[in-house]
Amino acid sequence: MAVAATPTTPLPETGSPLPRQIVRPAGASSGQPKGDVVLDIRNLKTYFYTYDGVVRALDGISFKVRKGETLGIAGETGCGKSVTVFSVMRLIPDPPGRIVSGKILFRGANLLWGIDREAKVKPIKNTGRVKVTRRFRRIKAANERMSAIRGRGISMIFQEPSQAMNPIFPVYDQIGEVLLLHRGPELIDGLLGATPEDPGVEPAIEALASASARNAPQSEIRELAKALADALHLPSFSIRAFHLSRPTSASRNQDVRKALHKEVRGLHLSAVEKGYLRNRKALILLENDLRATYFQEMQEGELDRRGERATRNRMRLRRYSHLYFRFPGVTRRLERPLRDETLWRSVEILEGVRIANPVQIAKSYPFELSGGMLQRVMIAMALAPEPVILMADEPTTALDVTVQAQILGLMRDLKERVGTSIVLITHDLAVLAEVADRVCIMYAGEIVENAPIVRLFESPLHPYTQGLLASIPRFDRPDKRLESIPGSVPNLITPPTGCKFHPRCPFAMPICKESRPPMTDEGDEHSVACFLYHGAPMVE
Amino acid sequence: MRLWIYIVRRSLLVVPVIIGVMTITFVLISALPVSERLEATFGTNPRVPYTPTVPCSKLGIDTPGNCTNPIYKAGIDKLGLNQPVPVQWAVYMYNSLTLHWGYVGNASGLAGQIPLAKGQPVTTVLGWFLPYTLELAGLSLAIILLISIPLGNLSAVNRNRPIDQGSRVLSFSGYALPAFLLGSFVLMAAVLVIGGPSGKSPFCAHASSYFDLYGSWPAIQCWAGSTYPTWLKAGQVSSPTGFPTVDAAIHGQYWVALDTLVRMILPAFVIAYGTIAVLLRFVRNSMLEVLNLDFIRTARAKGVPERSVIKKHAGRNSLNVTLTVVGLTFAGFIAGFPIIEVVFGLNGVGRLLAYSVTLTPLDFGTIFGTTILFTIIVVAANLTVDVLYAVLDPRVRLG
Amino acid sequence: MAAAAPKGRRPNPRLDQIKRTWYFFRRNSLAMIGLGIIVFFMIVYVYAPFYPAPGTSLQTYTASNGQPPVQNGPFPEICTYQPGEAPPAPNCYQTPLGMPSVVGPTVGVSPAGIGPLPFGSLTLNPATTPFFNTFAGLLKGTDWSISISVGIVATGALIGVLLGVVSGYFGGIVDETIMRVTDIFLSIPGLLLVIIFLAIFGISVQSLELRILIVVAAFVIIWWPIYARIVRGQVLVTREQRYVEAARASGASSGRILRKHIIPNSVYPVFVQMSLDVGTIPLLIAAIVFIGFKVFPTNAFPEWGTMTALSVQSSVLESFITNCQTTMGSCIIPWWQFFFPGFTLFLFAISVNFMADGLRDAFDPRLRR
Repeated sequence: MAVAATPTTPLPETGSPLPRQIVRPAGASSGQPKGDVVLDIRNLKTYFYTYDGVVRALDGISFKVRKGETLGIAGETGCGKSVTVFSVMRLIPDPPGRIVSGKILFRGANLLWGIDREAKVKPIKNTGRVKVTRRFRRIKAANERMSAIRGRGISMIFQEPSQAMNPIFPVYDQIGEVLLLHRGPELIDGLLGATPEDPGVEPAIEALASASARNAPQSEIRELAKALADALHLPSFSIRAFHLSRPTSASRNQDVRKALHKEVRGLHLSAVEKGYLRNRKALILLENDLRATYFQEMQEGELDRRGERATRNRMRLRRYSHLYFRFPGVTRRLERPLRDETLWRSVEILEGVRIANPVQIAKSYPFELSGGMLQRVMIAMALAPEPVILMADEPTTALDVTVQAQILGLMRDLKERVGTSIVLITHDLAVLAEVADRVCIMYAGEIVENAPIVRLFESPLHPYTQGLLASIPRFDRPDKRLESIPGSVPNLITPPTGCKFHPRCPFAMPICKESRPPMTDEGDEHSVACFLYHGAPMVE
Repeated sequence: MRLWIYIVRRSLLVVPVIIGVMTITFVLISALPVSERLEATFGTNPRVPYTPTVPCSKLGIDTPGNCTNPIYKAGIDKLGLNQPVPVQWAVYMYNSLTLHWGYVGNASGLAGQIPLAKGQPVTTVLGWFLPYTLELAGLSLAIILLISIPLGNLSAVNRNRPIDQGSRVLSFSGYALPAFLLGSFVLMAAVLVIGGPSGKSPFCAHASSYFDLYGSWPAIQCWAGSTYPTWLKAGQVSSPTGFPTVDAAIHGQYWVALDTLVRMILPAFVIAYGTIAVLLRFVRNSMLEVLNLDFIRTARAKGVPERSVIKKHAGRNSLNVTLTVVGLTFAGFIAGFPIIEVVFGLNGVGRLLAYSVTLTPLDFGTIFGTTILFTIIVVAANLTVDVLYAVLDPRVRLG
Repeated sequence: MAAAAPKGRRPNPRLDQIKRTWYFFRRNSLAMIGLGIIVFFMIVYVYAPFYPAPGTSLQTYTASNGQPPVQNGPFPEICTYQPGEAPPAPNCYQTPLGMPSVVGPTVGVSPAGIGPLPFGSLTLNPATTPFFNTFAGLLKGTDWSISISVGIVATGALIGVLLGVVSGYFGGIVDETIMRVTDIFLSIPGLLLVIIFLAIFGISVQSLELRILIVVAAFVIIWWPIYARIVRGQVLVTREQRYVEAARASGASSGRILRKHIIPNSVYPVFVQMSLDVGTIPLLIAAIVFIGFKVFPTNAFPEWGTMTALSVQSSVLESFITNCQTTMGSCIIPWWQFFFPGFTLFLFAISVNFMADGLRDAFDPRLRR
């Protein structure tokens, strides 16, 4: 996490500026996958223990995600798509659900380490039910470990954007929370710049104010804002200055000079406060180092019990050492400048997701914004800490088609710029056709087919996939009947034996009823789980 | 700006309630026989030989000294009792809204028990005793909030684990124990603890440790010279503010101020126990509901550590529902005051009410005055809660 | 759990729901304990008409020589001796022979030392009202307390639910007025209104039935708004559901919708609240009696609240102040007089509470997984 010393990239004439933190150095992967495997799921099983029985939501799924790749997971409602991503993030509500077994390797580290010791499942005699005894302390420890990864390693966006944000905090507060958690040092850097008494600051303010007063073109104002930021040695200040002096930003227009002065003065911190902030920054860096070390240890093998205790102690140390650094009475005074800083950083990020009036949006509350806007904000929040993987759980299902197109375009754009891997859940194959590189088709808690997108559409192998594709109405063949797959989604408490699709499959054979088909590799990175095909079984 | 509009609109809702309450008391007071009504309004029963504490001039009679039967007639005229009911209602409304709530009867049971109040206007008497109740209520509320909110949140987070079971026991027992029983036991136990089996007080020269806890002020033997100080009228009402702790501090008697606070702790706990029982359940349930909402999941997915999720995201949201419930239980909270004040002998309006309804002859002026006062308190509390709710939840004031 | 239904029976979803609710209720051990205790109370209640009223000749205590017992201060002279022996002091207080002792004598401290004590109860004026047996009073009190509570709750709930449904379903000005009225009643602290009501209307009435009627009326007046509020809230939610819209679209009349859809789905919280209130009302009656207000015409009335309150008042507080100031050690505090009725109140209220809490959790759809 290098402290950025590079200046902002030149702002293009039209379109939005590229905020510093979302731009990757040149040469980053974009669109060309086949990098390393960042996520490797092996035989993941997630069950829900309910009054009516054990719901086998995920019955042993395996797949891989590569760096920079967009993986789509498709299937009907209830097939376990959402449960998959929730399991990876370990957001399954623990009573009644549990990740029972499997491995989730994130950059080599097993996120499900110790899962078998978190609960004991015993069948109750003479009934079909089981008794689950959970060890809450272990579950809590596992949660704490995961919270290190959530947000910065893997982040997620959800289906209903209007419910997904906290209604009582404004938008910039919520984005700011993510920034403070994962990008704290940069935030603090934005404050520890030069003092306003330095030479060159006053004339820069003058120039900017007068440019604004005579309604100079936007490009010129941008240049002057950048100059002011340079004078303050604060690259991030340029966007703040730009918004303050833009002719269209309403009430500020009157007193741009005063507003700029106020902002610049607000940066002035006393020595004590600066010391405190520097200590905060050191602390955040220390915490990041601790987490990196934890990752390292996970990667080098399973953590043993000593290691776990050591990690716990370190986390406890982290939790209390910020008290050591706390200067009395300074904290409250600091909340103001940090709050403003998060506001402006959020504005930058919102511009990155192509929101037209970011300042207004940043200051509003979630209930004041539309679904499409909220989803963009959620994407911004998810991408702000530059995660390795972004999980998107049906992000466009709740939105209209036009907004859906915009969001998808945005995601595709960001993928190319940032190089994050995306796991996209949807039931709409058309969406996958837009953005995905590779698709997994799920049915009743299992993956039945896994192929690159073009191959899937060209030659779907699994009968279920074929049925799905055939049921899409086609404009160019109006004479064809509308197909559908006969039967209905199976009960996950008492699923069909063997291959779960066999009751509905037109090609069912006797063996399909008896045993579960393994995933076989059919070449061209196309694998399928069906007895119709005889490729080499995939190595688990 | 929107907040002010909301406050104004909400305050307007108070008006029909107040008018409604006064109407109800009007209906009830109209059911009284005339002589009792007159006594309630003017403090004197015309059947009883009249010793004027209310000057005859107030009745519109110029005969100084000796006015008996004319009072009856004059009183009826004044109250408009020979007019049709709507006029009576209007007169009553006018009197109530201008705070002419009648006088404490000369010969009522209340006046017998608290001679200080004899013949005084009801509003004055209430003004003397209200600050004490307010102080007690404040202390009680603080205890309630400080215990029920953290404990409720903890119970919700650790559902069905030992803390939850424990808080369930606490809340159920608080619900099932009548306040007077608990109060009496607590008082007895404290007396025995402080005084030992012999009952002697370690703090003062008087005999029983009972009086270390009973009553609002130390017994008369404990004061210098065995008389009450000048700022403490008849050992009950303190001046200038009426708030005992404040007044004692003003007059430099810091030990006495501490003593009044200590005397209020036990009653405050007993009152709090009942309300905590109800509030604890509500806090827990509201927190459980909030924890199931989507944005909690988003916060976890962002990597917010669990304790921040609970404190910041869930806590603030469940506070809203909690506030509403505090408002709803306020009426029940207030209703417990008469009992506890009687048990502990405190100088509050609750005890005033208890005496006025139980000591015959009943003092109806005080009864109705206290009822209206209590209702005003409840209404004010509800208003405050709603305003706080709007401050905390932007959806209310902007949506 | 797909148990095969017996052939020929149509699956009854309502029965399944009830079974499911019962399953979740059963899992809650506190609720089951509460239910057990309430069942016990109900059994006692059923036989209530058969219990002898305390104060009848069987339970009227006379001293061993046929005279009324002698007072020792505020207490009767208690002596402990075996029947057939000579009493150590004349006119002392002893359990009469032949009294059914289901519970057996209690053991306590008396001036004569440790020994069996009678289950007696004080009255404030023994010259006019005889002593009576606390235990008999408890048994008979089941009748009074439970009947009065149930009566109050049932009436209040009926009125409240009716008004709440009307208010919630029809909305508009009807809703507004009913809501304002409930606001008014909810703002006046309930106990005060009951006390005032009783002070004005009830104080001069001597007939027992009429007095009880007035008490019930007073409580009902303050109690119905709570139900109206609860039901209205539920109706507002239920009214917006799709199935109501669907029913209306298929031509159902308002009455039918109300009857078949809205009311059955809105009453669950009412049941919970009703059970809670049945437990609370005896406590309130006790509180009113304690303040000094005579709810029932006599003091030695066999009702739990009255017994508790008066005993606490007379034997604990007053004796504390007046009689035991200097010589605490030799005071007999007849703890059995307030402990047993008080404990009965407590037990009743808390088990009702457990049960209602269990009901609430059992109905909660989120917890029925």
